Amino acid sequence: MQREREPTVVIVDDEEMVLTSLNAFLTLETEYTVESYTDPEEALELLKKTPAEVIISDYLMPRMNGIQLLAQSRELQPEAARILLTGHADKQSAIDAINRVGLFHYVEKPWDNAALLLVIRNGIERAQLLRNLRSKIHQLDEAHANLKNAQSQLIRAFL
Amino acid sequence: MSAQEPDLKAYVSILEQTLATAKEQLIEAHHMISVGMLLAGIVHEINTPIGSIVSNNEVTARSLAILKEQLDKAQADGAPPPPKAAKILDTLINLAAVDKIACERIMSVIRSLKTFVGGKTHEFRKANLNEILQNSLKLARCEFRHRIEVETEFGELPEVECDAQKLGQVFLNLLVNAGQAIPEKGKVTVRSGLEDDSVVISVADTGTGVPPEQRSRIFAPGFTTKPAGVGTGLGLALSKEIVEETHGGSIGFESEVGQGTTFFVRIPVSPPPKAG
Ligand SMILES: Nc1ncnc2c1ncn2[C@@H]1O[C@H](COP(=O)(O)OP(=O)(O)OP(=O)(O)O)[C@@H](O)[C@H]1O
Ligand SMILES: [Mg+2]
Repeated sequence: MQREREPTVVIVDDEEMVLTSLNAFLTLETEYTVESYTDPEEALELLKKTPAEVIISDYLMPRMNGIQLLAQSRELQPEAARILLTGHADKQSAIDAINRVGLFHYVEKPWDNAALLLVIRNGIERAQLLRNLRSKIHQLDEAHANLKNAQSQLIRAFL
Repeated sequence: MSAQEPDLKAYVSILEQTLATAKEQLIEAHHMISVGMLLAGIVHEINTPIGSIVSNNEVTARSLAILKEQLDKAQADGAPPPPKAAKILDTLINLAAVDKIACERIMSVIRSLKTFVGGKTHEFRKANLNEILQNSLKLARCEFRHRIEVETEFGELPEVECDAQKLGQVFLNLLVNAGQAIPEKGKVTVRSGLEDDSVVISVADTGTGVPPEQRSRIFAPGFTTKPAGVGTGLGLALSKEIVEETHGGSIGFESEVGQGTTFFVRIPVSPPPKAG
């Protein structure tokens, strides 16, 4: 189990003010690494290289909306918890997204810091559990392969 | 017969008055509907800065408490202020700046909104049509957001004797129509300028255009190609009334299917004697 790294939270919102506020809040209350972007494309570039536990995205942004971004980040990092932060009065689009992109949670603007932090914490926990599970399965697969290998060698030795 | 004539005249004048009142009410009702349609966008526009302010306020309160504790402790120990205190101060300065921007955002939307709902007394006063246009644009933009790019080319204008609230409604109607004519992404260009003795305002969109067979009908009350709940077909009819009857101006358009539509509003700088 590698628990060296602090959890990473990626925030994407085309409004600089939202990023500044959330960054200040998370820096004060947590030890998380916070990566914030106004440009969804840049966020995706980061996600190609760096593992993240939670991805929070605004809904309405130029070039790419939050659901598209979260759908693409799901391909890159299926274990990361995806949170939609929406100021849109349209709840239906968020509910549709829960099903389509496997949304972990959606939070409405204006958001409540305490509630948001709880959602982020749960998201991190879930992401870490999923990653652990995946690595356990991988280890199991490997052990299984080794066993098979040993078995065939054993058989060969006797033939 | 002759004894009845004065009665008949009184009757006609009562009818005329009733009609005028009904028109006023219709303009008002239509306007409430169009602002209502923009409400989701306006709410969004306000929610983001409010979210920031609320969060910043909490963070500020917490940070100040931590700061005080650290400074008190340092003072008690006779030590210099801890480096973390300086970092917290930086954050606080940053948040104060964000709060200022956030408050300005909210105030500017509310100010534009107020020009539309500021009481029922429609009166003529000197106003700058560019300012009225800006207010209408501010509200329309909440709805357009990233879907529609807005370009403005405002010329230098003299103040015009006009009913600012009603003209604001006309501009909003044209902007909403422009936005609705654009299926996905597009552009709206708003221009203003002085031509002879009139201010000319144009709203151009890159939308679907008006098909030739509909061109003679779009100013008719009730003509709409939009589904119920989106359009009542009154926007242009009421706009024409406001521009031509109230201000002695004119309204027209040019359109090309598949290319877009441009509406022109012409308002005389000095109002005709009957207006007002
Ligand atoms: N910019 C435009 N581009 C294309 N068609 C337009 C444009 N503006 C108006 N129209 C056409 O003219 C019709 C009448 O417009 P009008 O503003 O009077 O009513 P409406 O937009 O349908 O409803 P509302 O009462 O909500 O304004 C529209 O339904 C549309 O077909
Ligand atoms: Mg209309």
